[in-house]
Amino acid sequence: MMRMDLGTKLMVSLLAIMIAFMIVTPFLPFYDPYGQNLAGSLVPIGGASFDGRLYLLGSDTLGRDILSRLALAGQVSTLIGLGAVSVSLVVGVFLGLVAGYFRGPLEAAIMGLADLQLSIPRVLLLIAVSAIVGPSVANLALLLGLTSWVSYGRVARGMTLSLREREFVLSARTQGATAAWNIRKHLLPNVLPQMLIVASYEFGQIVVMEASLSYLGLGVQPPLPSWGMMVSEGQSYLALAPHLAILPSIALFIMVAGLQFLSQAFTSEGDVTGAPQRTP
Amino acid sequence: MMADAASRDEDVILAVRNLSIALPGKDGPALLVDDVSFDVRAHEVFGIVGESGSGKSLTMLAVLGLLPPPLRMVSGSVKLRGRELSGLSFEEMRSIRGKSMAIVFQDPMTTLNPVLRVGAQIGEAVQLHNPGMSKQDVRNRVIELLTLVGIPNPQQRYRQYPNEFSGGMRQRVVIAMAMANEPDLLIADEPTTALDVTIQAQVMRVLAEVRRRTGAAMVLITHDLGLVAETAERMAVMYGGRMMEQAPAHALFNDPAHPYTAGLIASLPRVDREVRELFSIPGFVPDSAHRPGGCVFHPRCGLANDRAICRERRPEVAATSPGRSVACHFNDETAPWRAAQERAMERPVEARAPSVADDSEPILRVVDLRKEFQIGFSLFGFGRKLPALRDVSFDLIKGRTLSVVGESGCGKSTLARVLLRLLEATGGDVFINGEPFMQMSGPLLRARRRNLQVVFQDPYSSLDPRMTIHEVVAEPLRIHGRYDAKRVDDLLAHVGMPPQTGRRRPSELSGGQRQRVAIARSLALNPDILILDEAVSALDVSIQAQIINLLKSLQAEFGLTYIFISHNLSVVRHISDDVIVMYLGHIVEHGPVRRVFETPAHPYTQALLSSIPHPQSGEESRRKRIILTGDLPNPLAPPTGCAFRTRCFRAAAECERHEPALTARTGADHLSACHFAGQTATARAPGDEG
Repeated sequence: MMRMDLGTKLMVSLLAIMIAFMIVTPFLPFYDPYGQNLAGSLVPIGGASFDGRLYLLGSDTLGRDILSRLALAGQVSTLIGLGAVSVSLVVGVFLGLVAGYFRGPLEAAIMGLADLQLSIPRVLLLIAVSAIVGPSVANLALLLGLTSWVSYGRVARGMTLSLREREFVLSARTQGATAAWNIRKHLLPNVLPQMLIVASYEFGQIVVMEASLSYLGLGVQPPLPSWGMMVSEGQSYLALAPHLAILPSIALFIMVAGLQFLSQAFTSEGDVTGAPQRTP
Repeated sequence: MMADAASRDEDVILAVRNLSIALPGKDGPALLVDDVSFDVRAHEVFGIVGESGSGKSLTMLAVLGLLPPPLRMVSGSVKLRGRELSGLSFEEMRSIRGKSMAIVFQDPMTTLNPVLRVGAQIGEAVQLHNPGMSKQDVRNRVIELLTLVGIPNPQQRYRQYPNEFSGGMRQRVVIAMAMANEPDLLIADEPTTALDVTIQAQVMRVLAEVRRRTGAAMVLITHDLGLVAETAERMAVMYGGRMMEQAPAHALFNDPAHPYTAGLIASLPRVDREVRELFSIPGFVPDSAHRPGGCVFHPRCGLANDRAICRERRPEVAATSPGRSVACHFNDETAPWRAAQERAMERPVEARAPSVADDSEPILRVVDLRKEFQIGFSLFGFGRKLPALRDVSFDLIKGRTLSVVGESGCGKSTLARVLLRLLEATGGDVFINGEPFMQMSGPLLRARRRNLQVVFQDPYSSLDPRMTIHEVVAEPLRIHGRYDAKRVDDLLAHVGMPPQTGRRRPSELSGGQRQRVAIARSLALNPDILILDEAVSALDVSIQAQIINLLKSLQAEFGLTYIFISHNLSVVRHISDDVIVMYLGHIVEHGPVRRVFETPAHPYTQALLSSIPHPQSGEESRRKRIILTGDLPNPLAPPTGCAFRTRCFRAAAECERHEPALTARTGADHLSACHFAGQTATARAPGDEG
């Protein structure tokens, strides 16, 4: 078991509670993220509507249950995050390994592409592209994934540069191994654990990015809820019903910070690369 | 303890008594150093030898109060000039470190701070203990110290950064720092292990010189028995955290009392004699958490013979004669046992089989092989060229062993990588079994690569940490689609590993075991030629002998041809049929091993051979030593004419003008590249040691 300090323990427990909440809520009897109720508009936390319905976390302008919407939005965010992380992991690791192993013009091209992509503001790029292809959950995951492969690519390339000179790779080459063999059998397994750490960090970034896009109205489209969109909607009623904007913000915070602390804990766990311990 | 009776107390500078160091663990603390006692007297050199994990460095770190947490000194006392150090506060220790005691570490690359000028770093050491000293005085003192350790142009060097110094020069700077406050005791922890032999000889001479000037005593910690034998007056041998034996150096080598010492000495290959097979201490060094009970050495001991007392009772260190002590129940039996070992190792004079008829087609033919590295790129593509191999040519007959020797930077490892086609040659040809290897590409190359296999130096990075041992050895077979589990077990058996080892991972094995696995893997494809690139250099002495013996028996069994790349000339002498000596990418000498070692033709070879410290010869070899001046020249701007002339003790005007060709100058099969080939070293050598 890895060692965590108090802050990490707190944040990771909060994250665990929230994930449990996202999974359990849909099975509760009052779960209804879409149902509108004009008699129950802007109910405060723990309040009830005129027709006597109880809202544990209040309701929005259309009288929809915020508790249900938060849970559903969390599922949507997680789904997009997982999709995007998978896409970027696959693309980034592949390009990084290829660049690091073959060196030369191929490496220059791939790393040049990475620099180019970093030089364009990501949100701007996403706005432009999502305006063209149209926002949907799948498109969003794909777009976010394709624009965030660079971190994986760079780390994978860096590790490959040193791994390819290690004697076990050289010795496989002298035995007649092809590049594909070396990449598959030696480089990928040694790079992957580090990539999972990068992924745990990137996941939080993707969630924030999705929230930003949805906040701008370019992400998840209504009636499907998203934390970013809920913040955006709630913003107009900040004085009247502050919980509309604050609750999804807290959810977002727990999600991102929890992941961040978790990835920190993984990183400091030490020998994640399986590198040999040089004990004499 | 021994020393109390033998010497007057005021002579003793450092007295260590019953020192134990523990590493706290889940199942109670593990004793890394266990009840060690010794004395260091004024002005003497006290050698501590031991293999990795013997606790020799930890002992001295404890003396300095520098044990890294969580290690702790759990018992014992350390007295410096009669003052107890073990209970002192950090502040009090700091006033002693650097002033009364100083240490020189192994690696001068990491001991110096790369962003501080050399002068400032030494100045820091001076100022720490002389806070009132004026800037000018500190500067003068630093320049005096730089002069003391033999650094030319100290005024200019003062302002330079460590990266402008070569390895040997950096180690001199470290020595200058250690000597800044003229300590009574200098602790040198493997001071020359990271350096080449010719540089090692220079640094050892500097150490002798500064000690002569200041009268400091020195503790020399090393695994190199030859070095310690030449330098130390008294020595201690440690194993498994315990003191095995203490004796005057010459007595220890000529008449070791502990079977471990005797085994270590017998397992050293020597330059001055040939033996049929090296003695090797069986088994491997136990790790600190799983040390055997009773005598810590008994599972590997030649005397134990499974006697109960060795298993059950720990032998106490007992004095055998004045100045000697040993920890063994049966130390009387060491001498006869050793004599028996010596007889068994002795090689019949005609022993080495004559090579296969000399007219047979060579299995490997290398013709004018060249390799240049591009250094840096400019806008127009003219980078500078670093020539690493220049017109290297040789033939190799099947079943023979060719060794390639030379200092780091001479091109020997580049040669290996070019031959393996891990690097592409710039020019020249290589023929394996008559086929041109350098022109091959694609599937043909991949198929033919099996002819030439390699074992690398570093047993830690030569096995993929994520594979099991079985997978590692199976890999070459899988690459060629010929996987067969039984063949993998056979290969493991050939290198002395049981098939169950296959399920373990590299991190669970010791260095020697990993090297065995690497050898098994290299044999999987039935290669004709095996390149051994410093394959035994990273191993402990006792393990090194095991691997050398294994390599020799595999060669006999499979008719393998070896290219043995090494900087260790004693091992080369033992294992090879022919030797190539390289300097700055050139072959400077090539001939049968006995000719090269007994009548070296090239002055570089003569200097290399004379720099090897070896245990038995002591004084005599020290007097004949040729110490080369300076370092390897910058390979980007090699000297004109003969590349070696800048360091050569025989250089003449001719050497500057004409580059000597590699031809038979001293006999038909003995090639050398020197205008004055064959003149004996003593004739004009400026030999003597300061």
